[in-house]
Amino acid sequence: MPIPQARLRNFSIIAHIDHGKTTLSDRLLELTHTIEARQMTSQVLDSMDLEREHGITIKARAVRLEYTAGDGLTYGLNLIDTPGHVDFSYEVSRSLQACEGAILVVDAAQGIEAQTLANVHLALREGLTIIPVLNKIDLPSAQPDVVIEELENVLAIPREEVILASAKEGTGVPEILEAIVARIPPPKGSADAPLRALVFDSHYDPYKGVVCYIRLEEGTLHDHDVIRLMASGAETELLELGVFRPQLVPVNSLQAGEVGYVATGLKNVREAQVGDTVTTVAKPAAQPLPGYQEAKSLVFAGLYPVAGPDYPLLRDALEKLHLNDASFTFEPESSVALGFGFRCGFLGLLHMEIVQERLEREFDLDLIASAPSVEYRVNLTANRGQLVVDNPARFPDVGEIESIEEPWVKLGVVTPDRYIGSLMELTTNRRGTFLTMEYLDPQRVHMHFELPLAELIVDYYDQLKTRTQGYASMEYEEAGYRAADLVKLDVLVNGEPVDALSLILHRDRAQATGRALTTQLRKLIPRQMFEVPIQAAIGSHVVARETLAAMRKNVLAKCYGGDITRKRKLLEKQKEGKQRMKRVGSVEIPQEAFLAILRMDEG
Amino acid sequence: MALYLHVPFCVSLCPYCDFVVVAGAAARGPASRVGPFVEALAAELQLRADALDAAFGAPSSASRPALASVYLGGGTPSLLPPDDVARLLALVDARFGIGAGAEVTLEANPGPDERGDAWALGQAGVNRLSLGAQAMDAALLRRLGRRHTPDDVADAVAGARAGGIASVSVDLLYDVPGQTLESWADTLDAVLGLGVDHVSAYALTLDDPDAEGLTGPLGDHLPTRAGARRWRQAAAREQDDDRAADQYRLASARLGAAGFRGYEISNWARPGYESRHNLAYWRRLPHEAAGPGAHAFDGAVRRWNAARLDRYVAALSGTMPTLPPGGAEPVDARTAAAEAAILALRLDTGLALTDASDPSSPLAPHLEWALGSGLLEAFAGDRGESRVRLTTDGRLLSNELLARLV
Repeated sequence: MPIPQARLRNFSIIAHIDHGKTTLSDRLLELTHTIEARQMTSQVLDSMDLEREHGITIKARAVRLEYTAGDGLTYGLNLIDTPGHVDFSYEVSRSLQACEGAILVVDAAQGIEAQTLANVHLALREGLTIIPVLNKIDLPSAQPDVVIEELENVLAIPREEVILASAKEGTGVPEILEAIVARIPPPKGSADAPLRALVFDSHYDPYKGVVCYIRLEEGTLHDHDVIRLMASGAETELLELGVFRPQLVPVNSLQAGEVGYVATGLKNVREAQVGDTVTTVAKPAAQPLPGYQEAKSLVFAGLYPVAGPDYPLLRDALEKLHLNDASFTFEPESSVALGFGFRCGFLGLLHMEIVQERLEREFDLDLIASAPSVEYRVNLTANRGQLVVDNPARFPDVGEIESIEEPWVKLGVVTPDRYIGSLMELTTNRRGTFLTMEYLDPQRVHMHFELPLAELIVDYYDQLKTRTQGYASMEYEEAGYRAADLVKLDVLVNGEPVDALSLILHRDRAQATGRALTTQLRKLIPRQMFEVPIQAAIGSHVVARETLAAMRKNVLAKCYGGDITRKRKLLEKQKEGKQRMKRVGSVEIPQEAFLAILRMDEG
Repeated sequence: MALYLHVPFCVSLCPYCDFVVVAGAAARGPASRVGPFVEALAAELQLRADALDAAFGAPSSASRPALASVYLGGGTPSLLPPDDVARLLALVDARFGIGAGAEVTLEANPGPDERGDAWALGQAGVNRLSLGAQAMDAALLRRLGRRHTPDDVADAVAGARAGGIASVSVDLLYDVPGQTLESWADTLDAVLGLGVDHVSAYALTLDDPDAEGLTGPLGDHLPTRAGARRWRQAAAREQDDDRAADQYRLASARLGAAGFRGYEISNWARPGYESRHNLAYWRRLPHEAAGPGAHAFDGAVRRWNAARLDRYVAALSGTMPTLPPGGAEPVDARTAAAEAAILALRLDTGLALTDASDPSSPLAPHLEWALGSGLLEAFAGDRGESRVRLTTDGRLLSNELLARLV
């Protein structure tokens, strides 16, 4: 017997990393007997190992709770999980669109953080009801009064709405459940209307094909309905319909307001993309729901297999991973230094790290990434238009460039006020400008900057954490393109450019970076039979130069009767080593040298 | 035909050396294992000779020419009592045949208590001594863990001459930690001043036979001891290719000026004093071998004895001696061609281009590249044939070419 629409509640939890979202989710699951305590592995919703290790949620997940409220009625509560990191605000907004309410979890000791602020604003813009929860009130360092005041000042949340809780100890969790029922409005939408269901997430299952996570806005879906995805036009008889408990549990039907999944049997993820609208072929809707903007890649890098023959494996792995994470892009590219690989676009630097780690772990690949880049707009001379370039190797010649524009971001940082000076310095050193600042409470400030994205993606986040002993948090959003005095720095080995090492950077940095690169390369490239100049240049203008002296000696001193086989094997090893070398012009460079220099950037 | 005998005893171990050696009480004194070893070596020689008899008939016959060279290497074969050397060489002569005018070399250390009695060795049949001098710099010798002094080297050479040894060679090391170009020049001058006939100059090579997989039960090397491993790791950090190249060039120049011919990458000799035994290796001629870790080649198969002395002696002792443990690898045609080329190019007589320069030969493009880059030079052989050999630069960078030929 389905739960009537009036007793459905769809909600998310908005929280900063470590503020207790996952613990609270677990308590909700326990208290509603969705999962018994003895079956709980810690943090059920974070099902990827990687998520557990990073302590963050990357992909939205959903679960259906059945809760018998104080009024004696049973309610269906759909908890739609949201990612908690700065790179994933896109996925957050996607999750929020499937909800009518959100629980805002704030650590009673830490106060509200930059990312949480941004997400609450997103939720308010979507018209969601906010249930504010002050978590970790059991901690000796908890300052509920200060944080409640902060919520009141910054988000205009009335103090009487705030629920004090300790998800760890279970305090306040029953109140939260009651508030979900009492405060969050039930979904609207007629169950008799033609079906319109929003695909808010998906995963790929080898047996069931693309499994779409859907929120039904209108209409009813029955098992064995033939469905149509309105954007792609794909039609298929659905294989299975169900809800998340949190494992997939089939049901006979879903109706307006409910959240569940539909196994489509489709093998191509492009036929059932996130943001598409599901309707039925028998009674199709006239208009699709407003979809999502496609996830926008902000950070780009080449991913290459360390072993060239792994290229087809990398391609397969990317395709498979893309089925579960459509928010990154990839297309083939090749590099003299690194061979065949893929140019990939990511939501941010953490996203890039996660994709790379998943490829390495889940597909057992050893990968090297070229230095991350942003997407530049290059205005060509003589009004020949604009090029959009995310790969320094593809930059036009200096002579063809009229001007270059780079993406900027608006950056919000929440920090204890004793770090204001240090963060000002950090940000202005990276070409950022300070806009404004407001006090959240007597000790904490919300600072607003603008900064080129390229400066942000290098190691800004790490620096922010280092300089503030981990106390500061940040969020950012795009702020358009601006002209900049940027140059392309090429590294030339024996006069030949090494494509994988080209960089776009501000003119003022070119010389220092060029010196660092050439010095490192001189140490990393083995001596050749001839002297090799190693240069860093902007166009034809050399800004740094090192010389790798010619090889003087490579000889087997002794070779007698007992040595002949041994020495031949040593020579064979040298030969294999040479065959693995990458050739840049006439210079042989071991791939390890490229790996070392690219990994140096990572470090 | 050449014959190598490995004598694995030294008074003490040198940390850079990875030859098959046992030292200390096993080499000298009441617990010495020299006696049982000599018996075992004699037994192996009998078994090897039996096999040759069966395959090719009696020694010194048309189908089985007598030995042109015998080489007692080690270790320190000069630690053997001269009577044992005499007995072994008599056995070799009886079972293999030592040709008239054959070269019979024995390796010796220069220290007064290890160099042996040159006169007695000469009487036993030795006509060439190879002295492990290594350096003529007392501090450097200590660093290398050597027991002798530069004066001992001079005494050993003088003793060899007094004992009637016709040909005297010294081994030297360069690219040694702490060795300056000046010290190396002094060493070269000093040995030339002693009037030696032959000089082998080797860049100190710090190998790791364990990493190469050579130290297993059937391997031809013994595991590296921890102390030696640490010494090599420390020494490797002080090696320097630039210094080594300068030292090599200096050796080539000084020895050349003194009338020595650099007939092989690491070997120089006054005319007529080239090591015939070693030339047999480089010319890829068959050679027989006995003793732990020794390698033999019959023209088709490379065979070796395992390195462990105890198992070697155990197999060859008793009333029914059997061949010692070891291994063998057949050499296929492609490998044989590569071996022939890389060995020939070690010599100043180089490689005849007859077959190798045929455009269809796999060697041809590499030889052409090496000629173009100055590693090789072309010259006319004794019979007017076209040959190529390594230049001085080419010798120093020979692996760049040889690694293409394997």
